[in-house]
Amino acid sequence: MRWDEVEELVRAALTREVQEASAGLAGLETRVIQALARRPLRRSFLERLRAFFAQPVPRWALVGATCALLLGFALGRLTAPRPIPAYASNLFVIAAPGARAVAVVGDFSAWQPIPLSDPDGDGIWTAVIPLPPGRYEYAFLVDGKWVGQDPLAHEYLRTFGEYVSVRYVGGSGADRSS
Amino acid sequence: MPAEELELIQRSLNGDLEAWGEIVARYKEAVFAVTLSILRNRADAEDATQDTFIRAYENLRRYDLSRKFSTWLFTVAANVAKNALRKRRREKDPPLEEHSGDPAEEVHADLRLTAVRKIVHELPQEYRSPVFLYYWHGLSVAEIAEILGLPEGTVKTRLHRARAMIRARLVEEGVIPDAVG
Repeated sequence: MRWDEVEELVRAALTREVQEASAGLAGLETRVIQALARRPLRRSFLERLRAFFAQPVPRWALVGATCALLLGFALGRLTAPRPIPAYASNLFVIAAPGARAVAVVGDFSAWQPIPLSDPDGDGIWTAVIPLPPGRYEYAFLVDGKWVGQDPLAHEYLRTFGEYVSVRYVGGSGADRSS
Repeated sequence: MPAEELELIQRSLNGDLEAWGEIVARYKEAVFAVTLSILRNRADAEDATQDTFIRAYENLRRYDLSRKFSTWLFTVAANVAKNALRKRRREKDPPLEEHSGDPAEEVHADLRLTAVRKIVHELPQEYRSPVFLYYWHGLSVAEIAEILGLPEGTVKTRLHRARAMIRARLVEEGVIPDAVG
């Protein structure tokens, strides 16, 4: 099945879900108007700020925030992308002079960013990623900006309104850059 | 922005609640789709939709008339829904509403469509919202990034990953053949 067919299914499924679920919205206009008409005048921002700081900070809130921070750190470590198994190496390279951070995202990394490096500071950012033979969709992120057209790609696709590069590794469509 | 809508907003700014009621009627389904994508529970999404229109009215003076109104309104909706989600998790996260339509109707419904709805329903929240905003609302990646407060690159990667997850699940459940398109 082609991607556009999957996308059409998703659109149709969401339309049906919202249609079925929105039955409870009948008369919402009246409820909103009634609620707004009943609401007391809001206190100004300064008044609310003063009231907030007048309350003592509970100790459990500090303990809770620390625990959440530690838990987030632990979860981040646990859910970090797993390394790709060793296969034939593929060079991903992009010229981005002056960039602060460059990464490649693609279906080979479940669209998680893999950083590129520029150790000699000449503006050429590279990463060598081991990939088994196959077809791969990818794009670069240069300071968070999407760069979908890699000159070394074998072809380009247009998805979500942006370009994505396609590279074939191994077989008849051997990777030009490896 | 259409002149008629601008007039409704200006009348609302002057305290005309009937004009705001007209805005509610125009946008309630779209706002509901935003809150539903985040909360995954119809009752909570209905409450959040009502809350969105109340908060938006109270903060209407902060809305910059040169910006697209729907983008601002959906940003309010996303924030209200995220707050409701946090509150629900704090209090006691109820189990997600089971995805269920009328069983008799579903027997005759397109099985593929039913499977896609179930799969989208079960997507993690960070993927569901971009999927709704892109495929249902038809918004651009830039607008989705503004509404969800995310960099555009993150929205794009989440859309790609969500789409890959949906197709993988469809293949896994035997709904579509395992062939690259």
